[in-house]
Amino acid sequence: MELDYLATVLLSSLSSASILLIATIGLAVVFGLMGVINLAHGEFLMIGAYAALTATQYGIPFVIAIPIAIAVTMTIGAVVEVLIIRRLYGRLFDTMLATWGLSIAFYQLAVLIFGTVTPGIGMPQFNLRIGNYSLAGYPLLMIAVAAVATVFVYVLMTRTVYGMKARAAIQMPEMARAIGIESARVNTLTFAIGCGLAGFAGAVLLPIVPATPSMGFAFVIKAFLTVVVAGPVTLTGSALTAVGLGGGASVTASFLTSVAGDAFFFLITAFLLWLYPLGITAKWRTKM
Amino acid sequence: MTLPRRFSFSETAPRISNLGSWARLLRAGALTLAGTLCLAGGPVQADGGIKIGSIFDLTGGLNIYGIQQNNALKLAVDALNAKGGVLGKPIEVVSYDAQSELSKYTQYANTVILRDRVSALFAGLTSSSREAIRPIVRKANIPYFYGSLYEGGACDKQTFVTGPSASQQLSVLIDWAVKKYGKRIYIMAPDYNFGTISAHWVKDYAKKAGAEVVGEDFLALTVTDYAPTIQKIQSVKPDFVVALPVGANQTGFLEQFAAAGLKDKIGVVSTNYGSGNQQVVVSPAAGKGLIADQGYFQVVDGPANTEFVKLWSAKYGSDTPIISEAVDIWNAVHLWAAAVDKAGTVQAAPVIAALESGLSFDAPNGTVTLEPKSHHLRQNIYIVEGDDRHGFKVVETFKDVAPSYENEKCDLKANPTLAQHFAPDGK
Repeated sequence: MELDYLATVLLSSLSSASILLIATIGLAVVFGLMGVINLAHGEFLMIGAYAALTATQYGIPFVIAIPIAIAVTMTIGAVVEVLIIRRLYGRLFDTMLATWGLSIAFYQLAVLIFGTVTPGIGMPQFNLRIGNYSLAGYPLLMIAVAAVATVFVYVLMTRTVYGMKARAAIQMPEMARAIGIESARVNTLTFAIGCGLAGFAGAVLLPIVPATPSMGFAFVIKAFLTVVVAGPVTLTGSALTAVGLGGGASVTASFLTSVAGDAFFFLITAFLLWLYPLGITAKWRTKM
Repeated sequence: MTLPRRFSFSETAPRISNLGSWARLLRAGALTLAGTLCLAGGPVQADGGIKIGSIFDLTGGLNIYGIQQNNALKLAVDALNAKGGVLGKPIEVVSYDAQSELSKYTQYANTVILRDRVSALFAGLTSSSREAIRPIVRKANIPYFYGSLYEGGACDKQTFVTGPSASQQLSVLIDWAVKKYGKRIYIMAPDYNFGTISAHWVKDYAKKAGAEVVGEDFLALTVTDYAPTIQKIQSVKPDFVVALPVGANQTGFLEQFAAAGLKDKIGVVSTNYGSGNQQVVVSPAAGKGLIADQGYFQVVDGPANTEFVKLWSAKYGSDTPIISEAVDIWNAVHLWAAAVDKAGTVQAAPVIAALESGLSFDAPNGTVTLEPKSHHLRQNIYIVEGDDRHGFKVVETFKDVAPSYENEKCDLKANPTLAQHFAPDGK
């Protein structure tokens, strides 16, 4: 095995893992922290992608289109929380049914508004050469993006007043209210942040995965599995799981076949859940 | 006094064993519920006209194709009715939305035959949908038209295929590409029968052209990360890649391939790129220079196509390019109408006999001829190159390409009871 091949495999696997982590991080907040199974997570990702795409079509640079996409998905997320999710806290199956209905509605709305095919924005045409191999540059950039996003959410949830309130409002709503935290409003914001992170993922991944009404689908299954395997320490757990499972699957795909890569992902997930039914971080004593 | 027949369809349990995930499973359940509700207020029986049925994916992930197939059917029926219909009667369409769910095809194929009593059925995009429908139309004995490019080999008395088969497209494409790029070939294909059978034909035609397949990768439809495939391609250094991306995710392969800077060194050819208007999604940088070959592209020349595009644009606008599957359905409806007029009845046996009489039609994609024995369509195959404006230009036209594999295996005149799905050995 040549060294340059090995280096490209490692780098690109790390970028695959990062892409998975970017798509998962919003779910880590909504599902991991709030315990809400948001089956419309993939559709929020799709909304983010379309928001960024529409912004670029109006001539706005891609870099500025990303915050626009976040704002749009956060707003929709806040409205969804107030209208639907708020009424269903603690009712797991009702939440699933409601968000799943929402996902169908969002999907069909996207078909009606944008049609079935829309022009993509293409991938920035720069690449990295290692020996005889060259790698597309933009996916590699996702490694840095994933790291920044993870640190951002970690700091937000552990080092800020809002973060403390958010965790208090979900873990002990009565006590939180007793000491003057407006838990309803904090929950709305937390759900909106989760949706905003999904929107961010859709927007930042737009050059890699073109915007289509069904695009959320490709991510949502692996994202959910990642969060479930991660367990109670959601953020650190998700980062670890994404690198392990996503990266491992990519390495397997490089040396064997793409099917073997997928098989690796699902088999290891099943094995880990058998070993740690409550997630790999079940016995940790950290916060996020 | 009997109960209206429609009630017998209200107990449709979703057949979900082959769906990909639990989220889809849930989705299938609700859509079945929705479908059942729609059925209760189903189409009205009409007298006097000749009824045909259509089942296409008007919603869900496959509606990129289904909406245009359905539009083409309506356009063809309108055009025929404007000229007096068939046998002096207007044609009426009973239309169903399969919602990109396989179980819907079985359900609606039964409905459209048993309740609506149509004289012909036009339905399906994926091979699995066609295979779900074939046994039902065989039993009911009504002509069934399948309008999509596919892996080839479907053979029975009631089924007529108007799209090109994989061997029909690949026979000309591989030869052309070997001459243009060189003798080392890599295959990137989806991991199901369309991909694996197409790969077989690539190897077959490569051998005939003195070329060799140096590597292949079969990908699940959910894969979004193509870095592993792209590295494997770089490590074996092919002259060109046969890429058969299916669905939106796999279109991403072309984007990543171009961004890795490989497009200028390695050619990319495809039998299905453009069939779902992928050239609109792919950026100009990645789409320029890609080679595709099919039975129809909107850019093909000819008076019949000019007329067809004009008719289409007047009714549906010209925002989205017309895909080959739409023309496959347009041709199917016209061939059926010609056969009915020739037979003088809508009875299945005489219509099928008329369809087996070597019918030709002046189609948007040139003159097409229904092969009497194999029920496949002899048609032009166009090789086109992507430009930098989300469009194509024709680089070469192969006239009257025969579905040679189907003609060789499938002789429904000598053997009318044949009901097979032929696949090359070992597949």
